[in-house]
Amino acid sequence: MRVVHYLNQFFGGLGGEEFASAPPEVRDGAVGPGRLLERVLGQDSQVVKTVICGDNFAAENPDVLKEFVLKEVAACKADLFVAGPCFEAGRYGAAAGALCVDVSAEIGIPAVTGMAVENPGVDLYRQKLYIVDSGESVSAMEATLSKMAAIAAKLSVGQEMGAPTDDGYIPRGILRDGFVEKSAAERMVEMLYAKTQGAAFQSELTVTTFPSVPAPPPVIDISKARVAIVTDGGVVPQGNPDNIAHTAATTWGSYDISKKNDLKGEDYEVAHRGYDTRYVRQDPDRMVPVDVMRELESEGVVGKLHDQFISTSGLANPLANSRRLGQEIAQKLKDSGVDAVILTSA
Amino acid sequence: MELTLAIHQVNDLRFGDSTYLDGSTLVVDRESLTNHLLEDPRLQSVDMDIANPGEACRIGVVFDIIEPRIKEPGAGSDYPGILGPIATAGQGTTHVLRGAAVTVVDEAAPLANNKIVEMSGPASEASPYSVLHHLAVVPHTDPNLERHIAQNTLRLASVKTSVFLAKTALDQSPNATEVFQSDGPIQAGRDGLPRVAYIGQIHSRQRVAEVDEQILYGANTAGMVPVMLHPNEWLDGGVVSGYQNMGVETYFYQNHPIINELYRWHREGKLTLVGTIATMAASDNEDRERNCMLASEMAKWNLAADGVVLTKYGGGAPHADMALTARLCEQSGIFTTVQVSDMSRDRQAESALLFNYPEVDAIVYVGGGDTSWDLPAVEKVVAGNPAMTAALEVAQGIPAGGICGVTSQQGISKLRCFVY
Repeated sequence: MRVVHYLNQFFGGLGGEEFASAPPEVRDGAVGPGRLLERVLGQDSQVVKTVICGDNFAAENPDVLKEFVLKEVAACKADLFVAGPCFEAGRYGAAAGALCVDVSAEIGIPAVTGMAVENPGVDLYRQKLYIVDSGESVSAMEATLSKMAAIAAKLSVGQEMGAPTDDGYIPRGILRDGFVEKSAAERMVEMLYAKTQGAAFQSELTVTTFPSVPAPPPVIDISKARVAIVTDGGVVPQGNPDNIAHTAATTWGSYDISKKNDLKGEDYEVAHRGYDTRYVRQDPDRMVPVDVMRELESEGVVGKLHDQFISTSGLANPLANSRRLGQEIAQKLKDSGVDAVILTSA
Repeated sequence: MELTLAIHQVNDLRFGDSTYLDGSTLVVDRESLTNHLLEDPRLQSVDMDIANPGEACRIGVVFDIIEPRIKEPGAGSDYPGILGPIATAGQGTTHVLRGAAVTVVDEAAPLANNKIVEMSGPASEASPYSVLHHLAVVPHTDPNLERHIAQNTLRLASVKTSVFLAKTALDQSPNATEVFQSDGPIQAGRDGLPRVAYIGQIHSRQRVAEVDEQILYGANTAGMVPVMLHPNEWLDGGVVSGYQNMGVETYFYQNHPIINELYRWHREGKLTLVGTIATMAASDNEDRERNCMLASEMAKWNLAADGVVLTKYGGGAPHADMALTARLCEQSGIFTTVQVSDMSRDRQAESALLFNYPEVDAIVYVGGGDTSWDLPAVEKVVAGNPAMTAALEVAQGIPAGGICGVTSQQGISKLRCFVY
């Protein structure tokens, strides 16, 4: 295999933080850890080029670095791209992850890197890459490179990857079923007992932590604001004209209420399978409060109720899908000059 | 409280001229059982058939699966509140036909419900029901009955059949006995052992319980707040499956995998099983917060639990309510483990949980999202009507959740999800 290896200024031998602004350069053959990489990859492999770049330069000029690396990888007809391992170095990890994603997407060859779990590059790229868990200590260089080489070998022949703990990579967050010896009840009691004894236990899933969403600045004068109602409670006109799915909806709809002061049950239905919908079907204002909003409008509490309400079904929706729906709805509202939104949910 | 299960092993099931247990062979007089069931005027006719392990046979759509059981005369009431009078379940002796099952088919349920028992082939290997000898009962109700009355009719037929079969064991000596003994929260002499409880949902209010739906001692749970039960009450007919039964059958209330496992550790002297709490998932916020709060308070202040195991009943709202209950427990100093089902439609771990509570850190994950089977055509189908027979007898693909027991929410499942 012909390999291109990416290193930062430190591992590339330029020097420490004082060389962090060094622009990318290319060397023939292996440099520093690249020699070890060559050895663990085996006799048929050769590091043909090494790209070295300062961490600050990489962080500040990602597009320049990307273009540089893609050109070198293409020019030498590489079969594999390896970056790092980066251990805990955050800027290094972020650059290595980005380059691996770019090289595999645009040139179509396998790319592999290694980092400590705490490295910010992990959260950015774990879903797209095989990132070997390097741990924090640089003394694990050889073990880490060996795991990276094994993963590279599997990727290059299209062999199925094993479990993260078996192959040494950081879980990518992809779910796969498997049958096990012990029933769920046995596993639950075992895990609980370990917790009560203060012993180690392995949860089968860890709670995903999400960045908090910053609150937008407050509406300066609500009495002049255009306010829209948005719901994930699935209220749609009779006949569900946009065919919004009652579960894991992939679409949303926008429905005219400009001439309505009150929503009547006979005009609407509910595309949602996750709650007891009787009361909303009886009176849709309970989910889409047009009646109260009209009162507030006439009292001058709010400026204007937006002419449409927006609806989708918020049941069992994958996050990626929810993010897209949210972005589309927010864009539509912004384009319509809406200043504030009342969100209702089932 | 002490419950003794007198286990009578059944290794063969066949029809005959009278109903009796001959060693491990259960012989059923179809006519007398049919007549017994037809005493319910809501029934017009009853079909029945036998499905043995390994047979090329498929049963569907399943209403419920129950183990044949009967109380020793004088020891209590059979299915109290449904068949027998209200009486505390879980004490005295109950005779069990182990290895046999009453599997009631719902003639009006659509195939979309995917509740199938598969007796052979690869899918059968994943289900705990495929090793049982099933008496499949197909009650045909008066077509003019409202749906909930028809369902109530099926429920009654199921427990009547369970008792009818198990009656054969009354004059026989059992192959084994199993004793379930716990003094509950007042259990003494076990200092230093962790006190462990089970909190299980038995209904989800996303669907309004039918007025005559029988779940807890015959009650439909409407308006109910969480209630404490002795573990034996689950095992002995105090709780049966509601109609939504997604991954829940009465068979695994009677043989509750979690309660059985807690009892095993209890007997081994590793922990003390102090009690259980039955609760409901809610359909509005106040109901949710009230039920979760009360369940966690009972675990803390009535059971003085050090740890609880939690399960849900149904899909998303139950999942979220179970997690909130676990969080409240953890915040009051009780360790928890929860069992979640596979909620992720895009196979991404980030979509797998409907909660974001760092305290709820011990999760058992039942899979199913990417397991399915290509079922072959079968020679024999037990179904509610000719159209369903035609739909079921052909080769077809089916997801894991479509085969009873594979993605069980009662703790029996061995299919789990791994994060890659």
